[in-house]
Amino acid sequence: MLIENRYVPRHQKSFTVCHWLNAISFCMLFLTALPLYADTFLFLYNIFGAKTLQYAHRFFAVIFIATPIIGLLSAREGYATMIKEGFSFGRDDLIFLLKFPFTLFGMHPNMPKQGFYNGGEKIHILLQGAVGTVLAVTGLILWFGNGVIDNSIRAWMIPLHSIAAALGLAAALSHIYLAVVQNPDSLHGMTEGSINARYAVHHHGAWVDELIKDGKVTKQEIERAA
Amino acid sequence: MATEMAMLHDVARCSACRACMVACKQWHDLPADMSTPFKGQYQSHADLTPTTWNLIKMNERTDAGGRFHWDFIKFQCMHCAKPACMLGCPEHAISQKDSGAVVIDEAKCVGCGYCRTNCPFNVPRIDPDRNKSTKCDLCFDRIEHGMIPSCAKTCTAEAINFGTKAAMTKLAEERLKEVRMNHPDAQLYGVHPNGVGGTHMMYVLPEKPEVYGLPANPKTPESIDLWRDYIRPLGKIAIGGAAAGLAGLMVLNKLIGKKGA
Repeated sequence: MLIENRYVPRHQKSFTVCHWLNAISFCMLFLTALPLYADTFLFLYNIFGAKTLQYAHRFFAVIFIATPIIGLLSAREGYATMIKEGFSFGRDDLIFLLKFPFTLFGMHPNMPKQGFYNGGEKIHILLQGAVGTVLAVTGLILWFGNGVIDNSIRAWMIPLHSIAAALGLAAALSHIYLAVVQNPDSLHGMTEGSINARYAVHHHGAWVDELIKDGKVTKQEIERAA
Repeated sequence: MATEMAMLHDVARCSACRACMVACKQWHDLPADMSTPFKGQYQSHADLTPTTWNLIKMNERTDAGGRFHWDFIKFQCMHCAKPACMLGCPEHAISQKDSGAVVIDEAKCVGCGYCRTNCPFNVPRIDPDRNKSTKCDLCFDRIEHGMIPSCAKTCTAEAINFGTKAAMTKLAEERLKEVRMNHPDAQLYGVHPNGVGGTHMMYVLPEKPEVYGLPANPKTPESIDLWRDYIRPLGKIAIGGAAAGLAGLMVLNKLIGKKGA
């Protein structure tokens, strides 16, 4: 059943909450450590104090690591879909990826129907999953590893932590661009947990077909809304 | 002082009187440090702390033959020729003086702790109150005025010696010959170039380095070069490139959109 005759339910409320927890903690973690990464941002330490930002970094680290744990408990379905979809990369995903660059320039190539997540989203899920894991493990070793793990190993955590953060942000910037600028309709999915039917049919056709097959929405509803 | 200097601790001559620890605190104006509770042990402090930069470690050891040994060693910053702390400091707060002393500039230090993580000897300690990294500075302010470091000055047993690197190297070789007579495993530590380029804190060790808790093959980690020469610039390119590319796309699409309308 559509919401307000227009929106296809897509995400659990708790799943969207986890998304924003992750987004905010990632950005804050990046900002609070930025002066260590680029001298240009040393002014952040001068304004807020190095100690404050270093403690804030640990505070947001706890949120960043707790988020997937909270998610696996409270938004099991959403996380399960994300993990399952992330690891099922098919032929249509590849075709999507090859044609995708054209959409960046306002073109609309004929795309194969995409599932709950498209090929690009799947790569983003896997990349952020890997980046988050590396950040959490290396960060914990830097935070708690002194005296437990030898410095000859711990020293490597610094470049690993840095490169993971840079990769994560570069990918996040693209993610934000695609959501806010290119497909503003998609934002509704993360604010309200639902996306309008027209957008759903266009971008996640295979998923909508599945919803119809499972009787969660009807073909008529979708046609009327789209 | 333009000459390369060095300190030599002849462990065989050390009686672990700890006068050097007191002298260090006196010169650097460091307060008494009560962080280690007294439980009958001979060692005063369990480890280096933000206010204890020089520590006599006193380890009790019984060897394979059942003989009892005291292992004393003066432990502090090694003043490496290739200092990992300096090379990996994101704020360029650590420098190496001509004398070889590796010195932290507290005005630039932000207390991030990278120096401690990178240090093959795990020496620097972050003072939690001031959020500054601390360690032995080889009394660089004294030696630049022709004096010797306060620990060497106070040592009555001539266990701590200080002078030019050349003189200390020569002395180390001589002392080693004497020590070898009774200690077959005796060796020099840091005198000749090693994985950290050699150290300006040098030792004559009667036993293997591991006995004193020193790494047998200390090494300036290669991860620092990776971080400084590749990861930092590449990360900036990745983020800057992504941001610039996306901004470009946005402008381009605005233009295309206008044409279409």
